[in-house]
Amino acid sequence: MSAVLELRGVGKTFAGVPALRDIHLAVGTSELVALIGPSGSGKSTLLRCCNRLAEPDAGDVVFEGEPVPAGGAELASVRRRMGMVFQAFNLYPHLNALENAALAPRRAAGLSHGEAETAAREALERVGLGDRTSAMPDGLSGGQQQRVAIARALALRPRILLLDEPTSALDPELVGSVLRVIRSLKEDGVAMLIATHEIAFAREAADRIAFLADGEILECGPPAEILDRPRTERLQSFLSRL
Amino acid sequence: MRIFFDPEVLAAAWPGIRSGIGVTLGLALTSIAAGVALGLLLATVRALIRGAPLRPVGGLIAAYADVFRAMPPLVLLVVLYFAAPFAGIELSGFMAAFVALGLVLGASAEEIFWAGITSVNRGQWEAALSTGLSRGEAFRRVVLPQAVRLTIPPLTNRAIATGKNTALASVVAVPEVLNQAASVQAQTASPAPLLLAAGVYVALFLPLVRIGRWLETRFHIR
Repeated sequence: MSAVLELRGVGKTFAGVPALRDIHLAVGTSELVALIGPSGSGKSTLLRCCNRLAEPDAGDVVFEGEPVPAGGAELASVRRRMGMVFQAFNLYPHLNALENAALAPRRAAGLSHGEAETAAREALERVGLGDRTSAMPDGLSGGQQQRVAIARALALRPRILLLDEPTSALDPELVGSVLRVIRSLKEDGVAMLIATHEIAFAREAADRIAFLADGEILECGPPAEILDRPRTERLQSFLSRL
Repeated sequence: MRIFFDPEVLAAAWPGIRSGIGVTLGLALTSIAAGVALGLLLATVRALIRGAPLRPVGGLIAAYADVFRAMPPLVLLVVLYFAAPFAGIELSGFMAAFVALGLVLGASAEEIFWAGITSVNRGQWEAALSTGLSRGEAFRRVVLPQAVRLTIPPLTNRAIATGKNTALASVVAVPEVLNQAASVQAQTASPAPLLLAAGVYVALFLPLVRIGRWLETRFHIR
């Protein structure tokens, strides 16, 4: 299995405090890898190191066989093929759903206005919001906003999606609609790295689960192994508190 | 009553004041346009500079903004008009007033734009950059449109203040409304032209104040 994304010994410190230590993790084509672990364990930082929204201090991030470039147009081109979905959605409040999803295809990928709108419309249909293209973000529910944010990433036809706790800011009754979209993307073969607190979802949808604590991956393997036969005390106590 | 509204004096003062209206409006519009453009340009530069070698540029812009917000526009104007010639810089009264008002508004406008830009959530930058937009595109398409909404009420107030400050140009013999009125007042020893000028200023700027209030209600929410 060829890896779409691979972290090799990635480390990161914030003001002298280690946030990530020697992270080795690969996500294969069509694979869904879930990151679980307590708040502050480094899940977010790990995702942000992948597209260099956070700058790793050590190690390499390799995307499609090439190291992720440090900056400039080369980094921008990698970021386009590596979609990101944020906990707080971060939709552009002054643009409607279609414009949110069409902005990067138009202004980053250089598609024509019409092509960008088509890509955006298809992405919105894929997340079940084909009928809300002209809605402004503040006129959508949290679940719908997060689906628009997923569509914004999908409109660029990324090779992998990085999802940072995509359902943590949602009311419980809205979580299901977002998880359904993520499941359908998995069925379509989209590779994903997802930080989540939804353990039941991780068990059923993930190919592998990585358990992160204090910036280190303590365990990594298939869901049944990680969730039913935890080896480390940290993971046992994490799971027992859920 | 007749002292204040002497019809003969008013009739004699009107042609000069009427031509002064054109000068006042011309000075107001050009210095407001230049000041807002300067402020936007500097705030944009400050938002987009990245990396150690350029960092002092941001400090210089902030220093400019601080100095010119501390400087009374009248003082800057008389310095430009009466002191600059000794440095070989000869400015007409109109140019001196344009430069002084533009620099002072530019400083306030820079700070207003900068405050608007920094108040846009960092997540907006991150979302835009994560889709592969360049910093320039992220700024132009995502951050600036949101920042401008926040800047419109305070910017309108500063623009109105700049418009009113055009009256300062009367001290460097620019034939704007107040200067015209004052010269008739000096000739006739009647206060009537000054009252007429006051009325003209209110008539010129009241609509702007009203538009500012409307913009404030329109853009404040959100």
